[in-house]
Amino acid sequence: MAVGSRAFEAAGLGPTGRLARVHEWWEQEHVFGYGLILPALLLLACLVAYPFGMAIYFSLSDYWVGSPGAFVGLANYREILGNEVFRQTVQNSFVFTAIALTFKTVLGVWLALLLARNLRFKRLLRGAVLLPWVIPTALSTLGWWWMFDSLYSVVNWTALRLGLMSPPGPNWLGQAGYAMAAVIAVNVWRGLPFFAITVLAGLVSIPREYYEAAEVDGAGSWGRFRHVTLPLLKPVLAVVILFSTIFTFSDFNIVYVLTRGGPVNSTHLFATLAYQVGLNGGNLGQGAAISLFLFPMLAAVVFMQLRYIRKE
Amino acid sequence: MRARSRREFLRVASGATAGMASWLALGRAPAFAQKRELTFLSWNHFVPKSDDELRKQAEAFGKQAGVTVRVDTIAHLQLDAKFAAEAQSQSGHDMIRTHGAVPFVYENALADVGDLVDKLGKQYGGWYPFAAEIGQTGSGWRAVPWFWISFPATYNQAHFKKAGLETPRTWAELLKHGKILKKQGNPVGIPISHCSDTHSTYWSVAWSYGAKVLEADGKTPAINSDKTAEVVEWYKELFKEAMEPEVLSWDDASNNRFILSGKGSWIHNPISPYNAALANKQPIADDINHHNSPAGPAGTHSGPPILGLAIWKFSKNVELAKEFIQFLYRKENFDAWIVASNAFNHPPLRHFADHPIWARNPKFAMLPKEAEFAHARGWPGKPNDAVGRVESNYVLADMVAKAVGGMPTKRAMEWAQDQVARAVKGQLKA
Repeated sequence: MAVGSRAFEAAGLGPTGRLARVHEWWEQEHVFGYGLILPALLLLACLVAYPFGMAIYFSLSDYWVGSPGAFVGLANYREILGNEVFRQTVQNSFVFTAIALTFKTVLGVWLALLLARNLRFKRLLRGAVLLPWVIPTALSTLGWWWMFDSLYSVVNWTALRLGLMSPPGPNWLGQAGYAMAAVIAVNVWRGLPFFAITVLAGLVSIPREYYEAAEVDGAGSWGRFRHVTLPLLKPVLAVVILFSTIFTFSDFNIVYVLTRGGPVNSTHLFATLAYQVGLNGGNLGQGAAISLFLFPMLAAVVFMQLRYIRKE
Repeated sequence: MRARSRREFLRVASGATAGMASWLALGRAPAFAQKRELTFLSWNHFVPKSDDELRKQAEAFGKQAGVTVRVDTIAHLQLDAKFAAEAQSQSGHDMIRTHGAVPFVYENALADVGDLVDKLGKQYGGWYPFAAEIGQTGSGWRAVPWFWISFPATYNQAHFKKAGLETPRTWAELLKHGKILKKQGNPVGIPISHCSDTHSTYWSVAWSYGAKVLEADGKTPAINSDKTAEVVEWYKELFKEAMEPEVLSWDDASNNRFILSGKGSWIHNPISPYNAALANKQPIADDINHHNSPAGPAGTHSGPPILGLAIWKFSKNVELAKEFIQFLYRKENFDAWIVASNAFNHPPLRHFADHPIWARNPKFAMLPKEAEFAHARGWPGKPNDAVGRVESNYVLADMVAKAVGGMPTKRAMEWAQDQVARAVKGQLKA
């Protein structure tokens, strides 16, 4: 491999004397290769590994903001597991992720199928679909918050006028079930474009011939979807679902803006509870322990899905 | 043409990058901003003119001291996270605006301001004890009390007149009146949700019924009691008979909107809705009036928000910050600042409290009286970081919300007792 020397030549540095020795050293494949990865590794170490290590250390100490802490072993984990609020948060997180993900998958594939058709204004539509994904979450969620407002809810106003609800209509952010429905709805609205556009890319890459062959064999539109589209979409879907599981589990903005975990902690997720306990309450140790609970779960999800993708 | 413009772009860009790099390498701002700078992190005041006056005074102090004073304001609910980040990284602003238990949570990270508290107290007739308490930790003064926000009743007098009702003197009377007012289409409103007004009202009601959260020692949980049960039962009835379910989703601005929309008849809140109506020239300002916080079987008590000024220990400008604080407490400056807030900022120093702005407006005249029955949160114990955690984890709000949602009162109180015990257990070692 003489990539290194080419790089030197390109830079106009001929190999002379001491420089030549450096050049020779640099030219070795293992040095040059690792040299190329080094910046990325450094970034990962500083921005991912270091905070992660700190979080583990915090979770094992009684660290408070502004004051040093001592090692306390697993006391923080025992404490949060014994706390009803945390147990409820675990349950909320699973309900939230499972329902939101199901909706995003089904609606995402559906939307992608629609977008794949030869519609008029195709480009415009595809661009418009991405909007919820592009607008900063905190901003768009504020819009939703206003729509769910107890006094001026445009959702209730519309539904009442259309006769779909009886007055006064649901109290979206004040009742446990409705509040969960509201945060899930906003999460689905926000995450849908990511699903639709990625699945659309998968759809476009399926060769037309398969459909033609299926049609010749007498497959209807459902049959074509079931036996051609879906199996060929599987790898793409697996990746999208993998990413979305991570994003959904660790969601913060939507819940923080809409409900702050209320009413009565019925919409708290790991991230919002960790924020409340660790930053607002100052208990960094417990906050870190709460957010680290995400890690083994997400690691398991990633492991299973990556194995599945490899098998495919 | 294209090639040249690209080269030009590169030249400009590399020049800018180099400039930036040297700036970063020097570790200081470019020459035009090299004057010594004092920075202050505060909140977006509910009466924005108050911040305008603060910035004006900061500029005046800067001119006089030959420094730049920068006042940064952010939403009040974001302050806690920002404080945590600054204390953790040992960098950020020089001064902060404290609330609740902040001086206690950051006891180890804040500079001692005892000298300043002494001096100002002597100069201006002494501090109100309830206001002073929020700055005095076990190891010394960590905040100078800045102002407190009276938490009276704000009501719509037209709705009361229509129902033929006087203003309620007790919480029990509020319940009685509330039932009538709700039937009239004008419910009352007290938040039972994850917001800070929920705390303010809960403390006032609980104390009025003789209930406590912690014993006077500041560490024995005392929320599970017959007195608290009375409070919770009162909330349950008020929720069902005199309020709308929307109070379960309210934030700190919701009750303001509720009264300003003309629907609500009574809220427990500072005078900000009235001031907002005046500023926006809304006709409803004429109908809005205030009366003192209601009483209960154990007398009248109020838990107003009390705010302070503190200086980070890591600041390189501790002395300068102290000078700035003294400047803000000059009589003429403090007076101007009270006027800018239109009577919203109540002084913690007795001599400043004589300002005529309250007596002049009949709708404000009763506000200074609130100081007579105000306590710092945690009373009868001293305020501490455990009280702060009870609030930041919304234990009081959730206890009431659980009971209102159908959980037996006894069980809701047991849940709260457990949560309070957890807050105490994690108590900070100073």
